[in-house]
Amino acid sequence: MVDVLKRSYSIVLLLAVWEAAVRLGFAPSALLPAPSAVAIALVRDLGEAHFLSDLALTLYRLFAGLVIAIGAGVLIGIGAAQSRLGPMLLEPLIRVLSPLPKIVFFPAFLLLLGFGSSPRIVLVVIDAIFPALLAAYFGARAIDEKLIWSARAAGMSQFACLFRVALPAALPSILTGVRIAIVIGCVVVFLSEMVAPGDGLGDALIRAARGFQTVQMFVPLVTISLLGFVLDYAVVRVRNTLVNW
Amino acid sequence: MRALGERFGSVLAPLAVVAGLLVLWQAAALVVRSSYLPPMTEILPILGGLLWSGDIYPDLASSLARLFVGLGIGLALGIPLGLVSGRSRAFENFIAPILAAFYPVPKAALMPIVMLWFGAGDLSKVLIIVLTVSLPLVYHAQQGARAVDEKMIWSAQAVGCGSLRRLRRVILPAALPEILIGTRVAIVIGIIVTITSEMIVRQSGLGNYLFTALDMGQYAMTYAVILVIAALGFLLDWAFETVRRRLTPWAPDRLDANLAATP
Repeated sequence: MVDVLKRSYSIVLLLAVWEAAVRLGFAPSALLPAPSAVAIALVRDLGEAHFLSDLALTLYRLFAGLVIAIGAGVLIGIGAAQSRLGPMLLEPLIRVLSPLPKIVFFPAFLLLLGFGSSPRIVLVVIDAIFPALLAAYFGARAIDEKLIWSARAAGMSQFACLFRVALPAALPSILTGVRIAIVIGCVVVFLSEMVAPGDGLGDALIRAARGFQTVQMFVPLVTISLLGFVLDYAVVRVRNTLVNW
Repeated sequence: MRALGERFGSVLAPLAVVAGLLVLWQAAALVVRSSYLPPMTEILPILGGLLWSGDIYPDLASSLARLFVGLGIGLALGIPLGLVSGRSRAFENFIAPILAAFYPVPKAALMPIVMLWFGAGDLSKVLIIVLTVSLPLVYHAQQGARAVDEKMIWSAQAVGCGSLRRLRRVILPAALPEILIGTRVAIVIGIIVTITSEMIVRQSGLGNYLFTALDMGQYAMTYAVILVIAALGFLLDWAFETVRRRLTPWAPDRLDANLAATP
């Protein structure tokens, strides 16, 4: 604990300066609430049904999108890396699609899927699929070919090879991709709820902004940022236990 | 022959992908037959009209102006910060936790908060762009500076090169390939944050133009603007990649470079 504090002393310092600036009146609290005020409001909101329903909705959209993106991304990535035609099809697609600002397709999803959860889930999918797919693809391409040859020589089918050899060998790379996918997913689901408000944490920020409730504007923003941070950290822990070679 | 093959890979294959996607779209639209999904044969003439009439150019110009100003400031701030933190342990220990804490924050979502301080004008939007693009720039400059061969720094020291001069004449050029990769990430993420903040605070710019078309129920126009922004994102990335490969031909071609950054 002391070690963690020592390593992140600059964050503690930053928060302390921020808190002091507000308390000493250098920054008006109506424009910049103190970190302590935001923390208290966040804890209080965690007991409020309305906030919890926003949080639940955002979590549902996030995880639905992430499960699809990571599942499909890893499957396509590993499959393409192991097949002969895969790279020829996949690499041009990645070159065109991965630098596109995916959020511009969001209005199209709103038109086609309505204003509920599904357009936001689809947006999370198309944004989060690239890190997962690329990590799986490049991870599987970097596998020592001899591993695959020995498994095939020992009589393993090509399909079994994908799951028993390629997937575990590419796992460290895949988990790195998953980390990026998770954080991007958190950011994108939140932004989708701000761009086309209706419900969810992003909408809570927009509602607070309309009412000029500054503290309440920070609460959803801090919540989604903490969520991204904690989920990212959780994957690091999983990675360290799973990939211990 | 090999050069021809590479040219095919970098120009023709992406073009084939785009053509394929447009054809797929047309087929889907002809099957579904909904006003929410107009066929490409309806969208493309509107796109042509949009570009011909010049109606979109003021918004295009204001988006690009903010993007480039933001990128310029981000480069001027991010590269020195990154280079110094790559060479100084103490400075890295200071800055790394702040960057790590800021990484999962949705930057475009800061727009309503920043507006309270600086108003709804260009200043707030440029500030958000600077904050967003600085992260990958600092990170990659830091990685580049850290990987500089120690012997080069010793030699520079031995011939009496001061620390500032060393940073500019030895570390900066050695870190250049990694800095340019960071710049590519910054451009891609910069476009996203520019458009997204214009979608959140609708006032001017391409993001605003897009949602105005959507709100007025001009669906073919909505898709035409989507195509304009998507093409802009692709072209800026493609143009920068072409320059980057010329400048640093020895740097690896990284398909996965533009990922670890958040708008």
